[in-house]
Amino acid sequence: MPDHTSNGMQCNEFDHLLADAIDGVLSGSGLDRFQAHARVCKACGPLLAEAEAGRNWLKGLTEVEPPASLVMNILASTTGVDTQRLRVSARSPQPRISWWERVQASLFEGMLEPIWATVRQPRFAMSFGMAFFALSVGLTVAGVKPADLRQVSLRPSAIRHTYYATQARVVHYYENVRVVYQLEALARQVKRNVAPVEPSRKESRPAKQKDDKNDTTQQPEQNRERNYSQADSHLILASVPVGPSPSVFDGSKLDWSKLDPSNPDLPVVSVTTYRRFV
Amino acid sequence: MEDVQVVAMLVRRCIAGDSAAWEEIVQTYNRRIYNICYRFAGSGDDAQDLTQEVFIKMYRTLSSYDHNKGAFVTWVTTITRNLLVDHFRKTKQDRMTDSIDTAAPEHEDAQPLSEQIPDQSAPPDARVRSREVGETVHAALAKLSPELREAVILRDLQDMDYREIAAVLKVPEGTVKSRINRGRAELARLLQRTYRQVM
Repeated sequence: MPDHTSNGMQCNEFDHLLADAIDGVLSGSGLDRFQAHARVCKACGPLLAEAEAGRNWLKGLTEVEPPASLVMNILASTTGVDTQRLRVSARSPQPRISWWERVQASLFEGMLEPIWATVRQPRFAMSFGMAFFALSVGLTVAGVKPADLRQVSLRPSAIRHTYYATQARVVHYYENVRVVYQLEALARQVKRNVAPVEPSRKESRPAKQKDDKNDTTQQPEQNRERNYSQADSHLILASVPVGPSPSVFDGSKLDWSKLDPSNPDLPVVSVTTYRRFV
Repeated sequence: MEDVQVVAMLVRRCIAGDSAAWEEIVQTYNRRIYNICYRFAGSGDDAQDLTQEVFIKMYRTLSSYDHNKGAFVTWVTTITRNLLVDHFRKTKQDRMTDSIDTAAPEHEDAQPLSEQIPDQSAPPDARVRSREVGETVHAALAKLSPELREAVILRDLQDMDYREIAAVLKVPEGTVKSRINRGRAELARLLQRTYRQVM
């Protein structure tokens, strides 16, 4: 800047007062001398105009908005560096960590963390909740009480005993159902009614019947499982010498060799009995 | 204006290990520091990186702050300015290489801003127009020398007084005023040339 004087003010003095004049803090005779110099000086006049224009341009700039992630990035980067706080915490005695806790920590971080992250998903939690609800409702309907579970023994013998007892209960329950009993009786009746048809089947295979007289496996089930208690009664005649006969009945012992069926003196006793041949 | 006692308490809490205090400091000053870095570096990505570096340095040297020596904002701005100068020196070689590659003229005035900023058609509304003007001024600001740029940024964009700027730049107040005057005038000349070219 040329160093010459105009209106009693040198250019370097004008340059010194320029900032204050633009800021509006220059007043009085100083402001008058400043303005007079700006009007007559060919170097300082344009300088004042340009400085004012530049200031106006800069004042027109608005603040820019920092990125939303800036604060998070700063906090993340500052917590990872060596700081006063970390140094203080490093000097403090650290709690002793056992090898088991370290193994647990590494196991959890390495293997269980992904699984735990999956379990924490709302979808999985809802499914688990619904499954638990259905199980609890099922157990309640089945009559299982939580108090009973305390007495459950998990020994193999106890489990076997529980299995057989449960099976026996189920079979007993099934056989005691009135409907099942009636159906079984009806089925037996139907089989009995169908039984007369069977001889024709026997005749179709007479040769084999002869060979396997004692083999009843080919016979109808009704023949094999005859229930004589429900069949017609069989009359069995038995004749026993009644009355004192020293020759035949000797005291407490019966001499079968002396019995003669042709003896007309013997009384005939008719006895009807139901015998069950099993 | 910052309350000296409140800031001093925040700093003490932060040194004592209160993470909430540090987060409050970050929340309070990140916008200011980001804007200084953005206006000085000229790039949003560079500004973000530089802002993080400033806060990392602040976090490391927070115990060295003495509120009797000056305001906390002056201390923060000094750290920012020093980092920006270091960044400018580090990237100076890159910029020179870029200039050679692009065969730019030696004098900055020989390359008008109109060649760098695309000449677009008339904006449909005032908002777009204002944004264009802002981008033009921002580009012109980047053309200033670092000494002039930092002076006008601290004065006209951050509204610091001359004494604080002098403390940050470590130069006399007279030098600060001179740099501000020259920076404003240089910026106006660049913009006048630009708009003359555009018109």
